[in-house]
Amino acid sequence: MSILNDRIQALLQDPEAAKVLATVDNQGIPHIVSDNTITVNDEGQIIYLELIETSRNSVNLVNSIWFKRKVAIHLSKGEESYQIKGYPAYSVICGPVFEHYYKLSLERNPEFDLSTVWIIEPDEITDDTYAARKNKEREKHPLITHLDRLAK
Amino acid sequence: MDKYNDVSPFVIIKSDVTRRSFIYTDRALGALDKSKHQYQQRVLIGSNGGENAAVPVSLLLRDGTSIIGMPSKTAKNPYVVDQIDGKLVLTDQGEIVEEVHYWYKPDYYDKFTSSGTPMWQVASSRPQRLDIDPNSHCHFWNKGNGCKFCNINANSAQSEKECNMSKQLTAQDVYETVKEALKQPGAFTNLKMSSGSILSGAEIFDDEVDMYIEMLQAAGDNFKDKKFPSTIVASAFSEKQLAKLYENTGLMTYTSDIEIPNEALFAWICKGKHEEVGYAEWKRRIIRAVDIFGAGNVSSGIVGGCEMAQPHGFTNEDDALKAVLEEAEDFASQGVSIVHCVWVPMHGSAFHNQQNPSLEYYVRLAKGLSDLRKKYLLNVDMDNYRKCGNHPDSDLDRGNLE
Repeated sequence: MSILNDRIQALLQDPEAAKVLATVDNQGIPHIVSDNTITVNDEGQIIYLELIETSRNSVNLVNSIWFKRKVAIHLSKGEESYQIKGYPAYSVICGPVFEHYYKLSLERNPEFDLSTVWIIEPDEITDDTYAARKNKEREKHPLITHLDRLAK
Repeated sequence: MDKYNDVSPFVIIKSDVTRRSFIYTDRALGALDKSKHQYQQRVLIGSNGGENAAVPVSLLLRDGTSIIGMPSKTAKNPYVVDQIDGKLVLTDQGEIVEEVHYWYKPDYYDKFTSSGTPMWQVASSRPQRLDIDPNSHCHFWNKGNGCKFCNINANSAQSEKECNMSKQLTAQDVYETVKEALKQPGAFTNLKMSSGSILSGAEIFDDEVDMYIEMLQAAGDNFKDKKFPSTIVASAFSEKQLAKLYENTGLMTYTSDIEIPNEALFAWICKGKHEEVGYAEWKRRIIRAVDIFGAGNVSSGIVGGCEMAQPHGFTNEDDALKAVLEEAEDFASQGVSIVHCVWVPMHGSAFHNQQNPSLEYYVRLAKGLSDLRKKYLLNVDMDNYRKCGNHPDSDLDRGNLE
């Protein structure tokens, strides 16, 4: 069962939401791509469509699935903001699932030549809004604040 | 895996599954859907499932890595493919190792050409490759000098007997099958042709070259441009033959297998090739192909581990690996990628009773060959995890691309 709640799944399906995927290479150097076509499948797994097989992002994802490294997805719309971390679980390069997304890519842009359908299994979710992050800090670290905020 | 923690575990699993072979439980065979999965295939080397044997033709791992292997009832320590909790998995001694998937059947497979030939007998399919083997008979065996690891003629004779599968294809059947295959969006990224060697002609291999030209032209009639992503795995052609092939077809890349990268062992294991052409000339011709196809567009396959076949092969794995990688470096420095498959002592080959080397040998070999490509800046897009899937070393290149 997926850890993604209905609201996050809805945001992942919303093409108007901002979605960013972050990976790291073998030296730990980060790389990010912004792609609002990132979505979710019926099993609550995140779908990322890689169009360029030889891209840095693609190579990082390959190394992530090989060596069990997490990737991160930042998801936001308006005041809502979430960070999802998870593991690439499948690199789909053929078969019905691939062909479904291949056709979808062509509908988006006839120039797109899909390389790989990445299926990412979410493992952890963080509410990434300022309010949520500040509330968490106030709760765990009450000494970290400016005094003027406490003045009468 | 702990010792080689910088090597893809999928490559290690693939190498070991190929090396030790595998069998299916009844549950796993029950998961085969004949309407969705491949259970029949035309293959040059190895064996076909047979007309009535509904056995999956091969396996795919989660990262898209193919395992080009076949189940063996006589394997001493095989992996077991089982279905557990609704998923197909590889197991070893009862422990789950990895999830696997059966290869999907392309849309054209159950169709027929206008001559009535089943299209699956004209072109087989790997996950992203269209495979056409126009001639499944090797002339080197006519004089009893075929390569000792190979069972091509035994396999094609069995396929002809059991499945009424012709050893030779017609150009019209090839044209019609490729035309049908291209209707499936996103299904293929490469077209590969291979064949048994044909020695006849004014110059040795002239008839083989003419056969490829005819078949590549038939396939090529389906493409907008003259050149299209394609390769052949063929005999070592002369410069004149290679130029003729390049100029008259859509061929973009070329492979001729050196098989055993050691002259003395080549002379023993590939006796026919050595007597008719010779190791040095076979190698020279492969390297000269770079002048026509370009660096990185020529590869040569080796039967990894066969250099340890007895009684004449290496007896020490370190010595064998050193010799193989030194010769592979000589090729790489001249623009040719060496790729390896895992030697399986197959039924129907002269080496069927031999033992292949350790898993560690194959891990070191794969990493060594991949590292050589990195050193000499050779990409192997023509023969990579997606185009071929039979080379653990080129699977590793996928983690180094840029």
